[in-house]
Parts: sequence; C-alpha cells; structure tokens
Amino acid sequence: MSTPTIAPTARQPGTATARKGAIELRQVRKTYGEVVAVDRLDLSIQPGEFVTLLGPSGSGKTTTMMMVAGFEEHTSGSVMIDGAPVDSLPPRERNLGVVFQNYALFPHMSARENVEFALRMRRVPKAESRRRADDALDRVGLAGLGGRKPRQLSGGQQQRVALARALVFNPAALLLDEPMAALDKRLREHMQEEIKALQKSLGISVLFVTHDQDEAMAMSDRIVVMKDGRIVQSGPPEEVYNHPVTDWVASFLGDTNLIPATVISREGGEAVVDLGGLGAGRVRDRGARGDKYAVSIRPEHLTFRVAPGRENSGTGELVSSTNLGATIRHRIMAGGRELQLRELSSNGGAAGQPAGATVHVGWDADKAQLLVLEG
Amino acid sequence: MKRFSAPRPGIRRKPLSLLSLPVFAFLVVPTLIVVPVALNNSRYITFPPDGISLAAVQGFFADPAWTSALSASMQAAGIAVVLGVVFGASAAIGLHGRKFPGQQAVVGLVLAPMIVPTVVLALAFYQFFISVGLVGSIVPIGLAHAVIATPYVYLTTRASLAGLNPALVRSAQSLGAGTLSVFRHVHMPVILPGLISGALFAFSVSIDETVMSLFMQSPGATTLPVKMFTDIQFNLTPKIAVSSALLVTVATIGLLIQVVYVLKRRSTARMMPLAA
Repeated sequence: MSTPTIAPTARQPGTATARKGAIELRQVRKTYGEVVAVDRLDLSIQPGEFVTLLGPSGSGKTTTMMMVAGFEEHTSGSVMIDGAPVDSLPPRERNLGVVFQNYALFPHMSARENVEFALRMRRVPKAESRRRADDALDRVGLAGLGGRKPRQLSGGQQQRVALARALVFNPAALLLDEPMAALDKRLREHMQEEIKALQKSLGISVLFVTHDQDEAMAMSDRIVVMKDGRIVQSGPPEEVYNHPVTDWVASFLGDTNLIPATVISREGGEAVVDLGGLGAGRVRDRGARGDKYAVSIRPEHLTFRVAPGRENSGTGELVSSTNLGATIRHRIMAGGRELQLRELSSNGGAAGQPAGATVHVGWDADKAQLLVLEG
Repeated sequence: MKRFSAPRPGIRRKPLSLLSLPVFAFLVVPTLIVVPVALNNSRYITFPPDGISLAAVQGFFADPAWTSALSASMQAAGIAVVLGVVFGASAAIGLHGRKFPGQQAVVGLVLAPMIVPTVVLALAFYQFFISVGLVGSIVPIGLAHAVIATPYVYLTTRASLAGLNPALVRSAQSLGAGTLSVFRHVHMPVILPGLISGALFAFSVSIDETVMSLFMQSPGATTLPVKMFTDIQFNLTPKIAVSSALLVTVATIGLLIQVVYVLKRRSTARMMPLAA
C-alpha cells in the first residue's frame, strides 16, 4: 500500500500578513509539592519555527508542553502567545492545535466529524465546516475516508486525522506530544517528512516533544535539549549534534567517544589538550567552562590512518568489527580507552583486518569538541 | 513415545452442568411459580392451579385499590430513576480522574445508602419528612427511593467511565469545547450504557422497595409491594399473584433490553473491519 503524500498548499487567503504563532515562556516553573518538574524555563518560539523539546522521560518536556496548552497550571512565571499573556486562559481559549500521543480521536464520531469538531465549537455553519473538514482531510492525504470511524483506520491514518483536526481551525501554533510513538519505523520516517512539509507550507509554529533524537534532528529548526526540568542546550540540530556543551548532551544526541582531557592552552576558538594515554590533541573550543573537561568525537569522525600521527591520533588494537549493513562499527582499544569508529561499508577502511591487529586512527581538530564533563 | 491427548471437553462439562441445574432451579422456580398462580381461576390463592384464566388479571386491573398502587409505584420509580440518574452520573463524572483530599470520604457518602440498613433509613426518612411537613403524597417516597438508587447509578456510570481515554477530555478542550460540550461529546457516548444499566437498577430498586414505602405510606401513596404485604395478611386473593407476575414480567423485559443492547453493541463492533 502506498503511503499518500500530504499536499503542500498556499497559505489560506485571509490570514493576517503579520505572522502569528510566537510562543514565549518566561521563568516558567512547575512544582508538585516538593518535586520540581520544570525549573525556571525561558523559551521563545518564533512564528513559523519548528522547535523540538528533546529529553529523556522525567526531563519536564511534556509538562512544559502541557503548560503551553493550558492543561497544567504553572506554579510561577508566565506563558505568552503572540505577545499576550495566556496564564489565565483555559485550554479552549488558547487557539492552539494539539496532537496527543495516542491521537485521542473521538471514537463514536467519523473522521470528518472529528475534524469538524473544532469548527462546530466555533459555531461555523454546517456547510462551510463540512467543506473545510473535507479540505483538511484532503491535505493530509485522507480524501474519501471521511466517513470512517477511528477504529476502522490504521495508526498512520488516525494520526493524519488528528493532524487535520488540530489544523482545521487555523490555530496560532501546533503542539505535538510524541505523536510518532505508535508508528513503525518506515511510517514514522515518512510522517516526519510529511509533517515537516505541511508545517513549512502552512508557515505555522510547531512545538514538538520527543525523546527520539533522530526524530528531533530530522524535523527541527531548533532543538531544545532538556534534562531534569532545565534546558541544557538549545540550537539548530547541526549545532547541538556537532557542538554539544556537556558530555550528557553529546551522549544523548548519538554515540560519541568521550575522552577525559586536561586543557593546556586555549587560543582563538581552539584548545590544546592532554588526552592522557592518547597524547596531545588540538580541538574546537567554543568557550565551555567547568571543572572537568572531556573531548567528544563522534564515531563517524574517526578515521583509519596508515601511520601514527603527532596529535589528534591514537594507535591501538582492533577489538571488533561489526557489520551493521550500511555502516561498520569498529571497537578499538587505544591509549587505555575503548574508541568507537564508524565508517561506511563501502569505504571498508579496515576491511579484512582481523581482531587483534594494530591500527592507527585519527581525527580532524574541528571535528573534536571540547566540552564540560558533568560527571 | 507416549502420545498425550487433550481431555475431551464434553466429558468434563457433564458433571458440572448436572450440579448447576438444581441450583439454577432453586433460584428461578420460586420466582416463576407466581405466573401459574396468577392465571388460576379461583377466589383464593391455590397451588397447583386448576385452570388457566385471565379472570384474576382482569380483576386486578379493574380494582382501583390495585391500580392506584401500581400507579403509585410507577410515580415513585419515575422520581427515583430521574433523580438517581442525575445525581449518580454527576457524582461519577465529577469524581472521575481526579485526586483530592477527602475523596474517599465523598465516595463513601455516595455509597452510604447501599450500606445503611433499610429500616434505619426508613425511620430516618419518616421522621425527616414529618418534620418538614412533606407527608401524604408519593413525593417523599420517591425521594427516599432516589437516595437508595443513586449509589447504583454511580457505580454503573463509574464502571463505564473506566473505559474513557483521559486524553479525550483534553482533546475536546483544546479544540474549543466548554464543560457542557465536553460532557455531551466525550462523556455521554461512553456512559450511555452505564446510564441505561443504572436506570434499570434504579427502577427495579424502587419498584421492589418495601420498608421505606411501608413507613411513609398513606392513602393514595401506597406502593405495590406495600399493598401486597397488607393483603397477604388480610385478603389473600390471586390478585397478589397477578401483581407479582407483573413485576416478574417487567423485570424480565428490563433484563432482555439490557441483553439485546449489549449483544447489539458487540456485533456492530465485530462487523467493522480494520483498514489495511
């Protein structure tokens, strides 16, 4: 069965030229008795921006989203939408589209009736609301399925209905709470692209919550990494991935080699460090300051060298090579540490090298990031 | 190698069904026995009946003492069902999915009429209604019935609500639904089976209720069970059996409605295939 595409459309006529959808959280704090779920959060979403809250369970990301939607009341701070404080507004007056984790479609209503619901609540005349609902279903690729009940639709189709339902009334922004959790990998990737395309064509702001870093990387204009109720790092996907500020962020965003380091000197965005058993290194310094340091090198940035180098390199024993299909994962014991090196199977740099062989690895200075070791 | 065969189910079931048959008969026969007695043609209650005739049934409906008792029971049941459903359902929805201090106490209060002995309630209501001057009509009886019916409706509605996805309420709210709309579109469809069950429970509790109705009876406010009770002592006619047969028939109809409703919902759920 082919998965239908969500058709991009021109922005609906009649929308204000001033872009709407700016969300701002100022010093927002949420406590449950003794427990601090969200700790003085400052967050700003620009109109049309796709922002993802990324973090493990318990990081406060879902709570934050619930506070923006109005389902949870913040203990202190303020939430603003398009410059106006909404702290006292109940969810139904905030004009935000929400897609829940299990879609929460009304089981006794058809797909069309589900989509029409928001318009009904706004007293839109029947004929117009039916037309707009059919329009929305068209746009998410469900033309003709409006009459079906949710239980007659597949997971992917239900998600599309949930999207159509949340967008049909032209909300200021769209909030999505881990909406892909129930989908299989292929469908998930397809939907990621579709949602992103839809968002771009509508120019709507999105606040997306997920614990899946691949998803965050694929869809976001900006990733906000959260841990224990606080924002740890915020920035475009490329920046957060390649320039994590702490070892925790580096490990959360993907595999990485973390080598404890001592800083010898810093100058103009570069630092000279001592990597213990791995000798000297020259790394990117973006101003990370702390008590203990480490250098983070992604496995795909390590390469095999033919000969040992003076710096940014190591010599060691090839422990194992695992063929993962598209990539090969090597484990190398060098300088007293186990390093992970990933290369494309087509490269086959260490092809045929047996376990136990001596290998040389190296990396470029600008691919190694100096960061703070949180411990 | 020794082959193990599954025990043939037919053989296992026989002893169990042989045991359950007499139990079933013991439970059902005393209830059904009123029907042949009601259809008996004689001035006194006799068993076994010596003929089938509708004379007693006709006599029942021609007797104003009995028809007014029937009418009184219906009125009390009407009050009980309406108020029981309103209070029981409201309590179930209000207490659903919320946590607050003292919640258990509130639930206990709602369920209390089920636990307090009926005769205690009867005396309390009797004194209360006299003190507020509400006597001589079916209204105080109906109100008392409503009180004991409410816990049943609360329980059946609460059971239906267990199947409610909490995200549905938030979903409706985010789309602009106010409290009433949320109730209408999210709660009602889910609790409807519970409400119907609860209403039927409330009805049967009220129709059957004897003690409180006895305490608060007055001319014109005599319910069917009370009339039956008095007549058994002083005026043993087949009309009593007709009354019983009537109640049994009503109860059976109520039960059949329930069964048909449940079966119909199950079969419609099965008929809808899931899309590929």
